[in-house]
Amino acid sequence: MKVEFWGQEFQVNMVAGCIGGFIIAVLSSMFGFGGGPFMVPLMSVALRLPMYLVVGSSLLAIFFSTTISTIRHYQFGNFDLIFFLAMFPAALLGGYIGPQIAKRVSPLVVKRVACVGLVLLALNLLGVY
Amino acid sequence: MNNRFRFLPWLGLAAVMFFGVQWAQAAETGTETAAPTVSIDRTTLDNGGTIKVTGKAPAGKPVYLEIWSTDHTVRSNRFDSDKDKETGKIPYIFYITRDMPAYYKIIVPKDMQQKLDAAKKDGGKWAYSTLLKDLGADVAYSIPAKAKIDHYQATLMASVVGSRGTLLPAMDEKESRKRSMQLVKARFRSVGKVLAASVDIQPDGSYTANIKVDKGLAPGKYNIVAVIDKKVKSEPAVFENKISFPTVYLQNAGTSMNLIYPFCLSLVVSIFGVLMGAGGGFIMNPLLLTLFPVLPHTIVAGTVTPTVLFSQGSGIFNYSKINFISWKLGIGIGCSMLLGAFIGPKLTELITLDQFKFAFGWILLVLAALMLWQTSPGYLAKNKKEQAILKEFKKRAEESAQGK
Repeated sequence: MKVEFWGQEFQVNMVAGCIGGFIIAVLSSMFGFGGGPFMVPLMSVALRLPMYLVVGSSLLAIFFSTTISTIRHYQFGNFDLIFFLAMFPAALLGGYIGPQIAKRVSPLVVKRVACVGLVLLALNLLGVY
Repeated sequence: MNNRFRFLPWLGLAAVMFFGVQWAQAAETGTETAAPTVSIDRTTLDNGGTIKVTGKAPAGKPVYLEIWSTDHTVRSNRFDSDKDKETGKIPYIFYITRDMPAYYKIIVPKDMQQKLDAAKKDGGKWAYSTLLKDLGADVAYSIPAKAKIDHYQATLMASVVGSRGTLLPAMDEKESRKRSMQLVKARFRSVGKVLAASVDIQPDGSYTANIKVDKGLAPGKYNIVAVIDKKVKSEPAVFENKISFPTVYLQNAGTSMNLIYPFCLSLVVSIFGVLMGAGGGFIMNPLLLTLFPVLPHTIVAGTVTPTVLFSQGSGIFNYSKINFISWKLGIGIGCSMLLGAFIGPKLTELITLDQFKFAFGWILLVLAALMLWQTSPGYLAKNKKEQAILKEFKKRAEESAQGK
């Protein structure tokens, strides 16, 4: 498929994109996360698309899956309104405060800290400690 | 034969039957044990506490206390994919009920503590039904057995279209009772949640028990019934568990919780999420599972998902204002993701908490590897160029949006 974006044309391998997107969507809706950190590498590395095309479009693709997954979780009775209301304002507030802190810290350091944190969490879930 | 005496054998039979029944009834009343009594030292609790139960039962009989929440029920489901030992077939049947009490526990006599400890050592593999039988507590098991259980035959095709499968005809009482025990385990998971040994029985039949009611349980009325055997039960003693704001009962999760914790957690996680460039869901879900083990994983996944929806929506809005989204590409891949997201939530139901944790653990390891790769020098050099181009294009887009 050909995609035109800001005066440039890109050849996109839709088969790989759709299969990858499908797997990410199943996992992300099953476990309840967004899926952005997987979607961006999929589009930029596997589909060889430039960053400036990926940032917006990956968000749009993920938005589809999150919307449907929300509806489905609601249908299956997995959604708890009060619990949601406790977390949602905090998430909004965080989304407002976050970018202001982001200006002051190095993304490299954050990513390395996140790395350690994720490994610790993962080992906890796997029951290693 | 003489007609006049034909009725005689019948009369005899009727007489035997009549007296036989009377005799049997007499025998039954003769062995019937007096119903135990139960009384409690307090009728209200403030988000958990200890209740002292005292009562009198016939001497020499074990006493079991069945306790359950009468005001709130929760959902429990289980996917049976264990190989049948006799036929070797995997049933793939999905059991679900909405009538599981939000709290259910059987207190057994103190001297059975050892058996409970042995069962606790089995970890996740303990079987509720065998344990109940072993403790003799299956006589006390009654409330969840009455729950209406729906069961579905799951097929691969049904899973693909995201349905639960075909609804099978209702089970008979015995089968329903057996399945309800599995659902009790699926819901409460650990031995300590559904069984405790604290009934102290004196030789004369009087008993005492200290019942510890945990924090974070459903509010409302609870019943305590003393049970000797299936038919010999006391009248229920009723106590009420009270909770007050900010502790709130979560209807679908079946637990009550201080809302300040998830609020703070969500705040910290979402700030950190912005910094590391990943949605909060990756950290939020495992943290919630680790910090609040009372929450079912289905509720965690189902409730965290909509919180990321808004930040995604606002991101799309901002990009679309400067026309920085390729709609064709986004919608193209989005369509395949629609299908994927249709199936995912169904699968959440089918797996157990342990499987959920296991899979999530590996996902996080992959994510950590991705993050590590993004801090490698090779990636950074490439990324610097990319970022510069990104900025350049964004600037152009913003300018043209303003020019309009």
